[in-house]
Amino acid sequence: MAEKNKGRLTKVLDYLKYDDPFSKGVSFCPGCGLELLLRFIPRVLGNDIIITGTPSCSAPVLLGQNKQSWHTLSYFGTLMTGAAANATGLVRYYKKAGIDNTVVCFNGDGTANDIGFGNLSGAAERNEPFIYICYDNEGYMNTGIQKSGTTPYGATTTTTPYGTVHKGKNLRRMNLGVKMAMNKIPYTATATLSDLEDLAKKLLKAKKAKERGFCFLHVFAPCPTGWGANPADTIEICRQAVKTNYFPLWEAENGKIRMTKTVKKPKPVSSYTKLMKKFNHMTDADLQILQDDVEYETCLLGGLSVLEAECQLPVSAQD
Amino acid sequence: MNTTAISSNIQVITGNAAAAIAAKLARPDVVAAYPITPQTEVIEQISSFHASGDMDCELITVEGENSAMNAVMAASLAGGRVFTASSSWGLVFMYDAVLATAGARAPVVMVNVNRETPGIIAVSSGQQDMISTRDAGWIFLIAENCQEIMDLVLQSYRLAEDYDIQLPVMVHYDGFFLSYLSEGVEIPEQETVDQFLSVLKSQPKRTVLRPGEKLGVGTHGILGGYMELRHKHVTAMERSKAKFDAIDQEFADIFGRTYGGQLEEYLTEDADMVLVGSGSMCGTIKSVIDEQREKGVRIGLVKIRMYRPFPHQALVKALKGKKAIGVVDRSLAFGFDGGPIYTELKAFETKLGGAKLVSFIDGIANTDITKTNVKQMIQMTADLADGKDVPEVTWVSYPKANKDKGEK
Ligand SMILES: Cc1ncc(C[n+]2csc(CCOP(=O)(O)OP(=O)(O)O)c2C)c(N)n1
Ligand code: SF4
Repeated sequence: MAEKNKGRLTKVLDYLKYDDPFSKGVSFCPGCGLELLLRFIPRVLGNDIIITGTPSCSAPVLLGQNKQSWHTLSYFGTLMTGAAANATGLVRYYKKAGIDNTVVCFNGDGTANDIGFGNLSGAAERNEPFIYICYDNEGYMNTGIQKSGTTPYGATTTTTPYGTVHKGKNLRRMNLGVKMAMNKIPYTATATLSDLEDLAKKLLKAKKAKERGFCFLHVFAPCPTGWGANPADTIEICRQAVKTNYFPLWEAENGKIRMTKTVKKPKPVSSYTKLMKKFNHMTDADLQILQDDVEYETCLLGGLSVLEAECQLPVSAQD
Repeated sequence: MNTTAISSNIQVITGNAAAAIAAKLARPDVVAAYPITPQTEVIEQISSFHASGDMDCELITVEGENSAMNAVMAASLAGGRVFTASSSWGLVFMYDAVLATAGARAPVVMVNVNRETPGIIAVSSGQQDMISTRDAGWIFLIAENCQEIMDLVLQSYRLAEDYDIQLPVMVHYDGFFLSYLSEGVEIPEQETVDQFLSVLKSQPKRTVLRPGEKLGVGTHGILGGYMELRHKHVTAMERSKAKFDAIDQEFADIFGRTYGGQLEEYLTEDADMVLVGSGSMCGTIKSVIDEQREKGVRIGLVKIRMYRPFPHQALVKALKGKKAIGVVDRSLAFGFDGGPIYTELKAFETKLGGAKLVSFIDGIANTDITKTNVKQMIQMTADLADGKDVPEVTWVSYPKANKDKGEK
């Protein structure tokens, strides 16, 4: 068993070809999912990426302060409303000037799914050649944990608190990954931090696929602070999110969805929700609504992957 | 009317076409735009230049104006020459990115075709969109006619990308009145434009965002760092005044047309009275002045070409010692008596050597500023010079407003 684990670990390390451009101590909370992801990306893709980021939890570290910086990447600090459009401007100029580039537009779910969705959608339609990575911590964390479009049913946030009348968010979460895959862009994938090999492979696939246009990665990234979880549990939370089908791992080339990890016997969603406080108040009936939602999404994904396998996108419309 | 070309390089074209052709002549790397009346023709023309291979740029047909501004800002910071065009709601929808572009000192050039923005949707001319964004930190220039649109766009690149300036420039022109007006416009040769813009190439390289070069743009600048940047922004704006005058001079040497830089003065030297205006109204004002001069009325015009930074030194110089000054605004300033340009000029009243000021509001929502209107403004300014009692603010085409004022 130990042998096997060692083997797997080595394989992940194989993907980490480059130095970590981030300083050792940075101003993220302990156990922050987005920090792990942010450090991982340039180690796989290289330190010559240009990274862009919006006001968010990632901003204090990505953007530095005055002349001080937490990292040695080239970066562009953008507005929540226009991140994908900024990245578009960059790649188009580099294209015109014949400059090789990998632009990574790195944003939270609030930017990607909500306020910045219009320009994300536009960049997908125009098939702009860059990689958009959304780290999904299911809320606006930087402003103090408010609900976003990807906050799940039942979760408490500071704008969906537990009260005598309303008990957490009473709306279902939006499926950002599927929404993006349906644009038939060259590459879409979901990923998370419990499956690093899968994540690394997807990053590299995106780097290649961006030669053909727009790539979107939807990465599940727990926020111990906002979710009321033990910082030591971040990876376990990711693992349970996958095992319960709460956050399935798949990829899509030109919209053709394929599972990259099939969960044979999914666990009940409660084995995921019990790891954090934001679902603490939920009754069995409430949890059933969330369970039904997870099953619906899994079914939809399964259906889409079968359908997509049968349908042929015209070659002319692929890129 | 003869609408064929007068000579090989004079063509009868609209203001929008002049803007589009000027953009083409400047050879931008990236153009991003979204349609809005009355600007649409600009991007249609650019799209057709692009489609026919006459314009070798990356054309980004964005999903909204906010993205247009964001895209050109980023392309500009990466080192590219860029262009965009908008109007009214489009400009306002860009607003956050308009501020960010200025704050990042991205040398973006755009045209804004002036159009109203109140909630009563007025698909009509007026400068309220310009006024609503005036302190964004952009250089604002205003064109009087189609030729000046062409010339100002070309001059704008020299100003925006100048190593000592590095600021975005917006060229404003009156929607409907100029956007769709066809006039004979002299279209410069590509080589001449290349020569005019070549100065920029010989300047030191500005800092640009390139892969692997470890530059950060959009850092959190707080405390002293932020103050320093803001102060540098303000001083660059101030420098742009003299620079613009110099560029206008150089433009005159090469293209044979001069406008006087920050301000164009029309028969002001011996004038007792002056009207201050901007944009397309100035053509009408000039023709009325010509008539009045024949009758011995000593009236002149100061045309504001540079509106931000506000050319107060040049205005004081041009207006000092006049008896009376009438300022014509096509927009409103809430809480002040009088229009925005009038209000700003009032701040320098003590430096004007006793000149009296009155405000005229006209030309809002496509109201024509007719020769009759201009005659009335000149008459009222003359009355003021003669020491007669003249209301401080007159809504020229809406007399009821002037009555209402008394009934408060
Ligand atoms: C236009 C605009 N509205 C609101 C804000 C305030 N704001 C700053 S960060 C943030 C939340 C960002 O959420 P997300 O993108 O999900 O990133 P996270 O904070 O979760 O990392 C908000 C709303 C802003 N910066 N800009
Ligand atoms: S609040 Fe959450 S997302 Fe933000 S730094 Fe802390 S753990 Fe990370």
